[in-house]
Amino acid sequence: MHQRFLLLVGLLAAAILLGAVLSPSFLQVSTVAYLLQYVPVLGVLGMAQTLVMLSGGPGIDLSIGAIMSLVGLAIAALFSAGVPLGFACLIGLALGTGLGAVNAVLICVLQVPSLMATLATMFAYSGLALALTGGTPIGGLPEWFGMLAQGRVLGVPVHMWVIFIPMAVVFHILLSQTRIGSHIYSAGNDERAAFLSGVRVWRLRFALYCLSGAVAAVAAIMTLSWFQAARPDAGDGMELLSVTVAVLGGTHIFGGIGRISGTVLAVLIVTTLQAALQLANISQAWQLAAIGVLLIGSVMTDNAIGARIKARLRQRG
Amino acid sequence: MVALIAICVVFASQSEFFLTERNLTTVLRNSVDLAVVCAGMTIIIILGGIDVSVGGIVAVSAVFIGRAYQLGMPDWVIVPVGLAVGAMLGAINGYIIAKSRVPPIVATLGTMYIYIAVLFLVIGGVWISGLPGTLSFLVLGEFAGLPAGIWIIGGVYGACYLLLRHMPWGQRVVAVGCDEASARLVGIRVDRTKIQAYALLGLLAGFAAVLYVARLRNVEVNIGTNIALEAIAATILGGANIRGGVGSLIGTLLGVIFIKLTQNGLVLIGVSSLWETVIIGGLLITVLVLDALEGRRTA
Repeated sequence: MHQRFLLLVGLLAAAILLGAVLSPSFLQVSTVAYLLQYVPVLGVLGMAQTLVMLSGGPGIDLSIGAIMSLVGLAIAALFSAGVPLGFACLIGLALGTGLGAVNAVLICVLQVPSLMATLATMFAYSGLALALTGGTPIGGLPEWFGMLAQGRVLGVPVHMWVIFIPMAVVFHILLSQTRIGSHIYSAGNDERAAFLSGVRVWRLRFALYCLSGAVAAVAAIMTLSWFQAARPDAGDGMELLSVTVAVLGGTHIFGGIGRISGTVLAVLIVTTLQAALQLANISQAWQLAAIGVLLIGSVMTDNAIGARIKARLRQRG
Repeated sequence: MVALIAICVVFASQSEFFLTERNLTTVLRNSVDLAVVCAGMTIIIILGGIDVSVGGIVAVSAVFIGRAYQLGMPDWVIVPVGLAVGAMLGAINGYIIAKSRVPPIVATLGTMYIYIAVLFLVIGGVWISGLPGTLSFLVLGEFAGLPAGIWIIGGVYGACYLLLRHMPWGQRVVAVGCDEASARLVGIRVDRTKIQAYALLGLLAGFAAVLYVARLRNVEVNIGTNIALEAIAATILGGANIRGGVGSLIGTLLGVIFIKLTQNGLVLIGVSSLWETVIIGGLLITVLVLDALEGRRTA
C-alpha cells in the first residue's frame, strides 16, 4: 500500500510537470483554483465508489451518475414548483438514498450480481431523467445558491471546504479508526470468514449502496449550484470516471484493499491531467486515452508488484 | 419467449402498421449489427467475462472502413480490413485480460476510453459521409426470397452454435466459464482460450461495423455508443448468467429481437423514443428479479 501511495504521488508530480511543459500558464495560482473547482464532484463520487468496492461482493455501482442526474432534476423541479430550496435539497438526499436502496435490495436481498443490477438501474434512472424532462435542462435557481460551488474562501472553492474535505476526513476515519471500517475490509477480504466472525456482511453492503445513492445526491447539489441548472445528462460518464479514480487510487476491484487517501490522490491526478490537456488546447480524445491508459496501467503495475512481493516471500519462506 | 409474443400482441393491437412485412423488414435491418455483436457477447459471458468496449471496437472498425472507402479501395480489401481491425482490437482486450490478470470490466473500460480516443483522432470530429453503397446488398438485398439480414444472422449464429456446442473449443469456453481454476488443472490453456474468445467478439464487432457502414453509408462521431449496453442487456435477457458458464445463443437472439421490436413498437404507438432506455432498464430489472426469485425457490 505504501508503494501505491508513492506511485500516485509520482504520477501526480508527472501530471503537474506535463501541465507546466505543455502550457506556460499552467503554473499559476488561478489554475489551482480552476482545478479545485472540478475536484469535489468527481471526488465524492469516487469515494462512494471506493466504499462500495471495498466491501467486496464484488461490489460496483454503475448507476451513481444516473442517480446524480435524476436527483438534480428532482431538486430543480421541486424548487420551480415552489418548494423552498433547502427543503428540496433534503428531499433530493432522501431520493438519492432511496434510489441507492433499490440497488441495495436487488444486490443484497435478491443477490443479483452488482454489475448487472446497477447496469439495469443505470439504464432505468438515466432514461427516466431524459424522458421526464424531454431532454431540456431545468434552470431558474436563485443566485445565492451558486455560492456553494462558485464562491471562494482563501482562493479555494466553498464546496471544497464544506463538502469534499469533511467528507474525505469522515470516510478516512470511518475506514481506518472505527469498527465499521474494519468490518468493511473484512467483508471485502473474505466474505465467509467475516460472516463467521459475526460481521453482518449483507446488511453492511446494503447500507453502503444506500450511502452511495446519498453521496450521488450531494454531488447533484454541488453540480446544481455550479451550473445553476439541472441537466438530464449531468451524471453521464460519471459512473466510469468514479470507477476509474477508485481503481487508480489502489482500490481492488474485488474488495478488501484500498484507501480514501489513494482515491483522493487519483482524483487530483485525473483532474490535473484533464486541466493540463485542456489548457494546452489538446483535443479531448487524448484526455480519454490518458484515462484509459492510466486505468489499465495502474492495475497492471499493482499486479506486477503484488506478484514480486509474493515471489520474494516464497523465496524467504 | 412468452414476453416476446406478449409485446407483439400489444403493439399489433395498438398500431396496424406494426405487423406489416415492410415494418418487420425494417426492424430486421436495424437489428442485424446488434445481433452479430450479441453472438460474440454471449460467448464472452459464457466464458465468465464481459466486454464493455465493443462499441469502441465497432466505431474504430467503421472509421477504418470509411477511410479505406475514401482512399478508393475495392470491396474485397475493405471488408477484410474492417474484420481485421476488429479482431485485432478484440485480441488486445483478450491479451490484457488473460496475461496481466486485469479484471475484464476494468480492462475493457480502459480500452473503451482508448478506442474512443482513436476514433476521435482519426475522424477529427467530422462525419465521414456519402460513402458508396457497394456493400448495401448485405443489408438491403434479398437472397432466395428472404432478406439478406436473415441469412447473415442465421450464418453467424449457426457458426457460433457449432463452435460453442459441437467443437472442443466451445467446451473449453464453457469449462473456463464454469470454473477457471479447475479448467486450468485439467490442462486447458485458459489464457489462449480467453484471447481467442475476445478476438472472436472483436471480429464480429468488425463485421457489425461493415454492416453498419453498408446500411447507413456514413460514419458519425457517436457511432456505437449504445451497442455495449444493448448487447449485454440482450444477452442477459436471453438467459445467460453473468457469473459465467451458462448462456444460450438462441436466447440471446430472442433478446435482440425483443429489444429491437420494443424500440420499434414504441415509436409506432407514439411513445417518445426517450422512454426506450427506461423500458429496457425496467425489463432488465424485471428479468433479474424473476431469475433471482426462481433461483431461490430451487435452492
